[in-house]
Amino acid sequence: MIGSALVSGLGLGSMYGLLALGFYVTYAVSRTVNFAQGSSMMLGAVFAYTFAVRLGWPFALAAAMSLLLCALYGLVVELLAVRPFASRGSNAWLMATVALGIIADNSVLFTFGKEPRGLALPSASASLEIAGLHVSMLQLAIPAVGIALAGALHVFSRKVRLGKAMLAVVQNADAARLMGINVPLAITAAYALSTLFAGAAGIMIAPLFNVHSDMGTLFGLKAFAVAILGGITSAWGVMLAGLLFGVVESLITALLGSAYTQILTFTLVIVALALMPNGLFGRAELKKV
Amino acid sequence: MKALAFLVAFGAAIAFTATANSYYVYIMATLALTAIAGVGLNVLLGLTGQVSFGHVGFYALGAYTVAVLTVSAKWSFWAALPVAALIAGAVGALLALPAMRVRGPYLAMVTIAFGFVVENLAVEWRSVTGGQNGIMGVPQPALLGLPFGERGVAIAAIVLAAAATYGFHLLSRSRWGAAMRAVKDSEVAAESIGLDPLRIKTAAFAISAVCAGVAGALFAPLSGFVTPSSFTFSQSLLFVLVVIIGGAGSLAGPLVGAAIVVLLPEALAALAEYRLLFFGALLLAVLWLAPDGVTGLVTRLTARRREPRIVAAGEVQLAPARRATLEVEHLGIAFGGVRAASDVSLRAEAGKVTSLIGPNGAGKTTVLNMLSGFYRPDAGSIRVGDRELQGSAAWRIARAGVARTYQTTQLFGSMTVGENLAIAGGGPEFLSFVHYTGDIDARAADLPHVDKRLVEIARALATRPAVLLLDEPAAGLSREDKERLARLLRRIADSGVAVVLVEHDMGVVMGISDTVVVLDAGVIIAAGAPADVQRDPAVRKAYLGEQTARAIAPRAAAEPGAPYLQVGRLAAGYGAEPVLKGVELQVRERELVAVLGANGAGKSTLMRAIAGLLRPVQGGIGFDGVDITRLPAHKVVALGLVLVPEGRQVFPELSVLHNLELGAFARKDVIARDIETMLERFPRLRERLHQRAGLLSGGEQQMLAIARGLMGRPKMLLLDEPSLGLAPAVINDLFAALDRLRAESATILLVDQMAGLALALADRAYVIEGGRIVASGAAREIAADGSLEKAYLAVN
Repeated sequence: MIGSALVSGLGLGSMYGLLALGFYVTYAVSRTVNFAQGSSMMLGAVFAYTFAVRLGWPFALAAAMSLLLCALYGLVVELLAVRPFASRGSNAWLMATVALGIIADNSVLFTFGKEPRGLALPSASASLEIAGLHVSMLQLAIPAVGIALAGALHVFSRKVRLGKAMLAVVQNADAARLMGINVPLAITAAYALSTLFAGAAGIMIAPLFNVHSDMGTLFGLKAFAVAILGGITSAWGVMLAGLLFGVVESLITALLGSAYTQILTFTLVIVALALMPNGLFGRAELKKV
Repeated sequence: MKALAFLVAFGAAIAFTATANSYYVYIMATLALTAIAGVGLNVLLGLTGQVSFGHVGFYALGAYTVAVLTVSAKWSFWAALPVAALIAGAVGALLALPAMRVRGPYLAMVTIAFGFVVENLAVEWRSVTGGQNGIMGVPQPALLGLPFGERGVAIAAIVLAAAATYGFHLLSRSRWGAAMRAVKDSEVAAESIGLDPLRIKTAAFAISAVCAGVAGALFAPLSGFVTPSSFTFSQSLLFVLVVIIGGAGSLAGPLVGAAIVVLLPEALAALAEYRLLFFGALLLAVLWLAPDGVTGLVTRLTARRREPRIVAAGEVQLAPARRATLEVEHLGIAFGGVRAASDVSLRAEAGKVTSLIGPNGAGKTTVLNMLSGFYRPDAGSIRVGDRELQGSAAWRIARAGVARTYQTTQLFGSMTVGENLAIAGGGPEFLSFVHYTGDIDARAADLPHVDKRLVEIARALATRPAVLLLDEPAAGLSREDKERLARLLRRIADSGVAVVLVEHDMGVVMGISDTVVVLDAGVIIAAGAPADVQRDPAVRKAYLGEQTARAIAPRAAAEPGAPYLQVGRLAAGYGAEPVLKGVELQVRERELVAVLGANGAGKSTLMRAIAGLLRPVQGGIGFDGVDITRLPAHKVVALGLVLVPEGRQVFPELSVLHNLELGAFARKDVIARDIETMLERFPRLRERLHQRAGLLSGGEQQMLAIARGLMGRPKMLLLDEPSLGLAPAVINDLFAALDRLRAESATILLVDQMAGLALALADRAYVIEGGRIVASGAAREIAADGSLEKAYLAVN
């Protein structure tokens, strides 16, 4: 029982980690986040469903198209809900991104309908025996993809020109400008990347949880907790925090029953922030007066 | 007038509810209880500026408390209501413990988590809450034995909403309300006048929790049953919507917001399903177009011209302050392994002006921050009179009699001048004392720069301090205003206050100080009477760097080429008052030109404006035939004009190699050979090639910054204070490196505090003072001229 809890916990955790990476990427580059990241995840699943099931496209194509649209959605979020406020030094982006998320959720609700739909992956049902446990291919694929994407982000930020530029912006935005880096472009790219990650998470999780307009909200909020606990200052820290969160959640469900999962996990979040107001891995930013 | 309008509105609401049919009664009740929750959240969000996305939790607590007490324990509703409010308030105060210690997204997370915990507890704690099915049959309250009915609940809700609104009105005008607004505008400034932001935020949080609890308590008998499905996350969002759409901080805001949120879906009955979608769009629209909500819009449209109330001029005597001496002993602090201040001891006596001076990066503001409680020193003691203050919270230190002003004025921007004074405990007499002759009802954020400084000083004085700390008060002021400021500071000292002044303007410092303390690289290098300090050779070395200038060989003249950089009538700067007021300069190809001047004169602002980090407000900049005045930094770099910025600004987490590679970001060609060239030029970088740049010493980082700048193969290099914070021996190496560059006929514009060194290197030089060029010519001539010494050390 513990074993299967660990497996599903790792899968869930890597999804949280992926969403949280999206928070990390935008926060690191611009000190802002898309607070409604859960909606981006939902859009990924909905787009994939529309292309794969409604329009009958081959799954790979549907996924690719869905990811493209998610990235475009990230551009929209940055342009409409973040840029008008962050450039003025206002904090209103927090609520503006929430508003955009509400619009996205409800637009989907009215076009997609209220019924959750199933998204069947052809290979999802196949399963393996590992250490005496039944593990489905999907349950293996999810953490694999999640960790691979985190690794890809890591490589991207160290080896690829645009990635190195974005990392530079993280550490010193003014100096980055002086290197010839177009900082506003970097911020927009960060948002596109964050919604891309969220969409990928949505596509992968859809077969397990069914697709409906509300699927992202709770996920997104927990992923936000993960990002905050992970200190929002390092990609690996965030991913690690995500895996930890997922495993802890699964274990609580397995040992105490699902009734207490939400209560305990959210209470732990409050306690963690009470004890470490800068997150588990974060550092206090030096105040300047 | 306004009171009448509110009375009429509430009266009409009650009359309407007394006679309307049950559908409208239900609507009015919902409107009223939403308004109550809104008023509470308005205190938290509107007055105190703290966000919460979890207030549905308190709403649920109130509802379930009433449901449980009236259904199971058979209590009367009127007894259950205050219990519900109390429980909500208590939980709110408890949650405030973690919540009010964090800000922004972290606070949002804590409140969201709380909301989910309550919602899930409602589902799981079946024995008390009835689980998913909830509690049925909540009875309608009875009054004096007569059944109250839904109509009665609705009227009670309206009365409570009126009471809450009146309560908000009283709070808003009280000292608590002013304190909340102060915390919202600037927690730092609030602490500096003795307010404890934590206590204030906690009170606001508890009040908002009580209101949400009362709203929930009214919801229970109104709806007749209480289930978890009424207490979802989106309900929290709706509460926030009520406040923002109505107008955060305004009296009528929650009422207007509640009306819109509750009535609009009913009015558009056919589209009621789309209400959340509509609200999302409405929220976005409000944030874009009318951030002060509907009431803010109305206020702006109906604003009448207000008659300004000018403060009476005239000589006012300050009542003698509580006299005490500030004793600082062996103070020290380190940040991330760097000792920012070490073994700092000084004594500021009552009635005297003690000035703290030193080059940029010496640690003066760090010392001030420790004195005012902003930083906690890791060594040493601070005593005012007989009280030990080191390590105390800033607001406690303020209450102990230490007041302070800041480099960038920290006024409570949304409040008027008079209100800024009032909350510090003082009145217009302080404004007269500082010779502020403006409008007492003017909004602090709208004041011109010099007036902001005066009001900030007046506010500090209003706390009747024993010690007044001033951080570069003369920055950005005209000559005339600086002289008036100097006289003001002398008057303040004469009234008995111990004045501690951090300032760069030597005219001001030398003119009014009783004692001058000189700080360099975190240590005191001289202290005494102004005349003695001016003559001290160590001080002259720290400021003018003349000793090492002899190491530079006189320049073999190389023919300068055509003008590369042209700057004309340039005005630029932050805030209302441009630091640069009209700068003209020129750099020709193969020239090394130095720009000198005291700190605050505008040298760095000039460099940032040229480099494209700062947009000028007037004038023009041309480079190599291209107008770069409005070009953003990354495009200026592409043209071949590279700035090595002040403070080195390396990318600390990246290796030396990566930093160098980023320097060539704008180039498309192969850079391996250039990296090799840089490593030959700066051999110490080769040893550290794969180390994180943040671990390098100051001198090594400066070499790296220059090398990084050169990687871009620039046509022209801008160097902003390369010697800042470097030890004298390292400065030697640095200028030797620059010497090699000029031998290679590089085109360089150099700004540095080490005037002697810079002049030894340069062909020509400009001297900036007060944002304008006051001298220019061949470097040798400027060096011989006394105008430099005058600008730096106010020696006549």
